[in-house]
Parts: sequence; structure tokens; C-alpha cells
Amino acid sequence: MARQKIDKIDITILRNLQRDARTKYSDIAKEAQVSVDTIIKRYRRLQKKGIITNTTLLLDPRRFGDEIIANFNIDVEPQSVTEVLAFLEKQPDIKFSTYAMGAHDLFIIATARNMNEMNNLKEKIQSHNMVREVKISIWVDQFLLCPQNFELEPLLEAQR
Amino acid sequence: MSTPLDKEIVNYLTEDARMSFRKIAKITDKSTDTIINHYNSLMESGDIRGSTVVVDIEEIGYQGIAAFEIDVTSSEEITSDQIMETLIEMPNVIVSTKTVGDHDILALAVIHDLEHYQQISVEIAQIRGIKNLTSDIWSGNKKILPKYFII
Repeated sequence: MARQKIDKIDITILRNLQRDARTKYSDIAKEAQVSVDTIIKRYRRLQKKGIITNTTLLLDPRRFGDEIIANFNIDVEPQSVTEVLAFLEKQPDIKFSTYAMGAHDLFIIATARNMNEMNNLKEKIQSHNMVREVKISIWVDQFLLCPQNFELEPLLEAQR
Repeated sequence: MSTPLDKEIVNYLTEDARMSFRKIAKITDKSTDTIINHYNSLMESGDIRGSTVVVDIEEIGYQGIAAFEIDVTSSEEITSDQIMETLIEMPNVIVSTKTVGDHDILALAVIHDLEHYQQISVEIAQIRGIKNLTSDIWSGNKKILPKYFII
């Protein structure tokens, strides 16, 4: 398992940016009790090490025309998982797709403008001759996102 | 999101959430105050839910993500919302949503290893009001699409 070495200053940077990527360097510096220059250098180092890959907005897809969000659990014929995954990745409404180990073979998250479109997607997936079963769960209410729940503290222990 | 300028602001900040309003103003040929006003409106309306740093989960010691699909006991004593609140306060749970269909709640968690996966499964199963729990570990695809789902 790759475990990078980081210290408390790095964790202060990451925790602040997980909550709000636009947090000012000066505010992080104040909390970490170091200079702004130190925070900027550390931030760049976290990028260089590949720990930070990007900063981005968290958007609600329903505000951008995709009223329906759903996840699909898909079971497929043995030895056809790769073929079906490649088929799924070509569908524009599918925003995330992955192999799964456990109750099902594949897991996807899709967005659609309305229920009709989501149903069309379901039927399209079901029509693939290697797909055995498709189970769909529609996301209701506001879904909760919690980026600050990533555990960073074990990385400190790696230095001891 | 109503104006082309809103869309431009969202596009720039989705690529780099730390981009300065001054820089966006320069690119779009608008004043910095205009950009700030539009950004604040997008936040107030809920179009923008927030911003975050995207971390490489492997670089911080995680091996993967697990999906937990939860069935809730029908009871007046404990609601799905309360279970959702408990879930989202658990370390490593990064997304939680109520669902309609096969299950009542979906929770996504980052996992260090199989032992950790087992531990999180037990912790979730012990939450009051949970009737049944099925789970999958995702393998293969580590593609991160954080702008909607932080996964």
C-alpha cells in the first residue's frame, strides 16, 4: 500500500481544502501557525507528490438539467464483465462505472434528464445479450457528500 | 444556472476551484465584482454545493471504495434521515443518499484493505434501524469524478 509521508502542516492544508477548496492560504497559515510562503510551498509539494490531483467544485447534477440520478447493480454472464463494462462506458448518461466484487458484477452511477430517459438507459443495458439482471436504485432527496471523512492521520504514524 | 457567464464560471472553477475571480474576470472580459456576484448567487441557489480538493486515494493509503446498500426497518423511532446522519459522520464514508428501488440507502466508503472493509461493514450493520446490508467492493476503476459524487 502506498503511504506518503506527510506532517501536521500538510494535514491542515488538506483538511481546509477538503472543506472549501477556495480557503485562503493566509487562513491556513494562521491555523497552522506558519508563514503563507510555507503553505504555498507545501501545497505545491502535495501536488508534486501526487497526493493532490486537482481542486474542483461540487455541483448538484439536478441543477444542471439532470433531474434523475440512479445507481445500477448489474449481473452479467460469466467471463463477459470486461465486454459489458466497455459497452457501459460508451453510454453518455453513465457518469461512473466499475467492476464490483460481492453481491453484483458491475456498479454504475448514471444521470438523466427525466425518468423516461433513465428507463430507456435501463432497457438499453438490459438489452445487452450478456447482461443477466439489472437492479436500479433512484437517488432521492439531497445526497450527502463528506470529503473530510477521508482519514489522513494514519499518514502521520507512517513517519514514526 | 441561468446565464452563459454562470456556465463559464462553473466550467473554470470545475477545472481549478482555486482560480482567482480576477483571472476569471480577465478571461471573460467582465469585472471582478460581477464574477463574485455571480459566484455568490450560484452558491446561494445551491447550484454550487461547495468545492473540495481531489486527493489520490491510493497515495493516502486507501486500496479502494466499497458500496453499502442498506434496508431500513419500518419504524417511527428511527428515520432514514437519522441513519443517513449517522453514516455521514462515520470516518471513511464519503457519500450517502436515500434511494428508491431495491434498497433504502446507499453509502460509499473508502477502504484501506479487506480487514478495514469488514470493520466498516460491522459498524454500519450495528447502526440502529438497519434491517439488512449488502455490499460490493469496487475493483479496477479508480477514475475520480468528484464534481458530482467525490468518487
